[in-house]
Amino acid sequence: MKGLKEKESNLIWLIMAFAAGVFLFYPLGKLLLKSFETAGGIGIGLYQEVLAGKKFLLVAGNSVGIAGVSALLTTILAFVCAYSLHFSNLPGSFKKIIKNLCVLPMLLPTITYGFAIIYSFGKQGVYTRLLGRQLFDIYGINGLIIGYIIYTFPIAFLLLTNTMAYIDKKFVLVSRVMGDKGIKTFYVAVFRPLLGTIVTAIIQCFFLSFTDFGIPASVGGKVKTIAGLLYEQMLGSVPDFGRGAVIAIMMLLPSVISILLIWQLEKTNICYNSIENSEIPKGAIRDGILGIMTTLIVSGIMLVLLVIFLIPFISGWPYDLTFTLKHFKNVFADTALTGVLRNSLYVSLATALFGTTISFFAALVATRSKVGKGKKNFLDILGNVTNTIPGMVIGIAYMLTFTGTRLQTTFTIIIICNTLHFFATPYMMMKNSFLKLNSGFEATGKIMGDSWFQSLYRIIIPNTVETIFSVLNYYFVNSMVTISGIVFLTGARTMVMTTKIKELQHFAKFSEIFVLSFLIFLINLTIKVIFKGVKKYEKVI
Amino acid sequence: MKKLFSGSVVVMLVVVLLAGAMTGCKKDVSASGEKEVVFYTNADDEAVEAMENALKENGFDGKYLIQVFGTSELGGKLMAEGTNIEADIITMSSFYIESAQVEKSMFQDLDFDTKALEEYPSYYSPITAQEGAIIYNTEMLESEGVTVPKSIRDLAKPEYKDLISVTDITGSSTAWLMIQALINEYGEADAKEVLHGIYENAGAHIEESGSGPIKKVRTGEVVIGFGLRHQAVADKAEGIPIDFVDPTEGNFTLTESVAIINKGENTNPEAMKMAECIITKGRPALLETYPIPLYEGEAADEKNTSGNPKTFKEQLTVELLKEHQAFSEECK
Repeated sequence: MKGLKEKESNLIWLIMAFAAGVFLFYPLGKLLLKSFETAGGIGIGLYQEVLAGKKFLLVAGNSVGIAGVSALLTTILAFVCAYSLHFSNLPGSFKKIIKNLCVLPMLLPTITYGFAIIYSFGKQGVYTRLLGRQLFDIYGINGLIIGYIIYTFPIAFLLLTNTMAYIDKKFVLVSRVMGDKGIKTFYVAVFRPLLGTIVTAIIQCFFLSFTDFGIPASVGGKVKTIAGLLYEQMLGSVPDFGRGAVIAIMMLLPSVISILLIWQLEKTNICYNSIENSEIPKGAIRDGILGIMTTLIVSGIMLVLLVIFLIPFISGWPYDLTFTLKHFKNVFADTALTGVLRNSLYVSLATALFGTTISFFAALVATRSKVGKGKKNFLDILGNVTNTIPGMVIGIAYMLTFTGTRLQTTFTIIIICNTLHFFATPYMMMKNSFLKLNSGFEATGKIMGDSWFQSLYRIIIPNTVETIFSVLNYYFVNSMVTISGIVFLTGARTMVMTTKIKELQHFAKFSEIFVLSFLIFLINLTIKVIFKGVKKYEKVI
Repeated sequence: MKKLFSGSVVVMLVVVLLAGAMTGCKKDVSASGEKEVVFYTNADDEAVEAMENALKENGFDGKYLIQVFGTSELGGKLMAEGTNIEADIITMSSFYIESAQVEKSMFQDLDFDTKALEEYPSYYSPITAQEGAIIYNTEMLESEGVTVPKSIRDLAKPEYKDLISVTDITGSSTAWLMIQALINEYGEADAKEVLHGIYENAGAHIEESGSGPIKKVRTGEVVIGFGLRHQAVADKAEGIPIDFVDPTEGNFTLTESVAIINKGENTNPEAMKMAECIITKGRPALLETYPIPLYEGEAADEKNTSGNPKTFKEQLTVELLKEHQAFSEECK
């Protein structure tokens, strides 16, 4: 009996290991090898060449600096919003609205934010026109910082609110009773316990901004980033795969460091066992200030996003301001664009199903099997490695590995790329949810005469169905908005909406770009609402 | 019995894996069950539309797929992928096709008689010829209070600071029309100074796409741009506040051509028929937008004949483009 269960687990592990070998370690190895390939055999010649050029160092400096500043600003802004949600007596309805609005940008591709910024604050932007003058130059550093903030704000916000929910609010009270002044209370009861998460948020935001491709592609202007340079080396007019490989490997460095730091921080996080929602002390002035600040931050972000919902309905910005549906009609009449819409839906659905299946079984084997510590560690490493690797690096590794094979420009390779690219979070989510289940469930099932498969669908799946839906949702939405990896992999038959936006950008077809962005948002919102509804329904049952 | 159940979990996993793999192959086939011919093109909208209309009217509807790229992206793909490229047929800047042929010998000879006015290599035939010109927004010119430039050199003048847009030669070959004109007229040393001034003035408006500048001129983001002459002619005729100048340095020309990838026995026979259809049936419509005659029996319209046509002294190749790209980078 026992042997049986191990057999299945071992087999699943074997399939995972094989897949990881073919689709992760082999392509990465190939990329690494390519970066060391020189005319005279294996050597560090290309690295010397790239590092000697002043362009690379300048661009690397740009990327690190701008991503760093954005990360810091984002975390401060996100902290204010999260803080007013947890440590104020602002009305519940206000908190609920803020909470929902804060995560809204996640439903849109980053390349769209860039265009939204151009149409908000550009020379002919909506707000420039309303105010009568341009507030600041959007191309370059300003645009990048705004774009990165909008992009990473939801992630920082989620990290901070999650941890704040676990902070014992009684500490605030205790600190007050002990006679601490306001600032000291804040430091002792809020800031210090949160320090780990704050640093994690900064690093996470830095990592995301540093590796993002969409925002510099749209508002970078003359300021080049590593992501842009990498794209130019691989798909520019004079491609140089060797140098591209070197830059890709270099891009990996800050990513690896970021993840290692986060890893280290997670170990030191303070853990509270009992969370009691005690009263927050009254403070009308505090609530007022927090309310205003939060409203300003959130509406700032919403103002930029608002453009995405305006422009598609305007005949010809800025000359013809009449309401129209013609842009939507045009998109739906264009078989190339509807094809792209279909492809996107297909890729996202397939990735959601495939990715959820993979992360479900990987987490199951890692938490509830007896395959041995080494094998379990391998799965954890897989999770960490995929977390570290920027999408662009996976895309380039795949381009080097699978060009000329049957997989080139197929949906299969795109789906596999997405599954791997976003594997880390679903794997952790599934693992956490499996760990919460009583470890005796399977044993009980076995006594009752259930097979492994029976206990799987009678006990395990029903008890983790909420997490499964979250994972499905996560994979779907991320596949809808991603561009960095798959921009190197799509072909004429497999073009998706984000890569199409990149193509439309080249021809400055902004009406279509905004219509597609709007549709991406609508689809993601629908999926989110559906999964939320299903989860509620499950709870009722 | 239990073995059967437990085995089915693994089977399920494998099925999901395979289902993914299958879809990749399944999608290659059109509704009619035949493989579609894939076009990769760097052409602008107008050219793509003209080609598509010719294909649709001549029985190829639903039998092809068109994927548009920027010139540099498609150029990169050609050089990187060779005959591994997904496309069966491409339309692309002619000099790129020539260089790709030298490096990868990836195209096959066209098997139809094109009756072109000039002689071209056997593996491609031109679809369009495009000229460069200075384009400006008449309304913005007035409101910004600047004068109309006469030459490309004028664009480097301080009065046009932040008011002009040009194309980056690393992204699009339209920029080459401007750089050829400068080097041809002033020699590399002087041209460098002029180009540096132009880039200074353009600031953030150095575009990746050939049609980038005219689009910015249209929306008023900038007042003046260097772009494709025919687009300005069309805008002016449509009543958009746009006019153009044939610069004193000359209007230089680039042609774009159609070529077929040699995929050996995997070559789709329909590709050759479609190429022929584009040349023989598509040209009248193409000529309307790109008004330079290329084939016997074609005539140019008066207003579309540029004032100052010139050709670069050297043969255009990707090598020369690289040189000029490096030259342009030095001017930034």
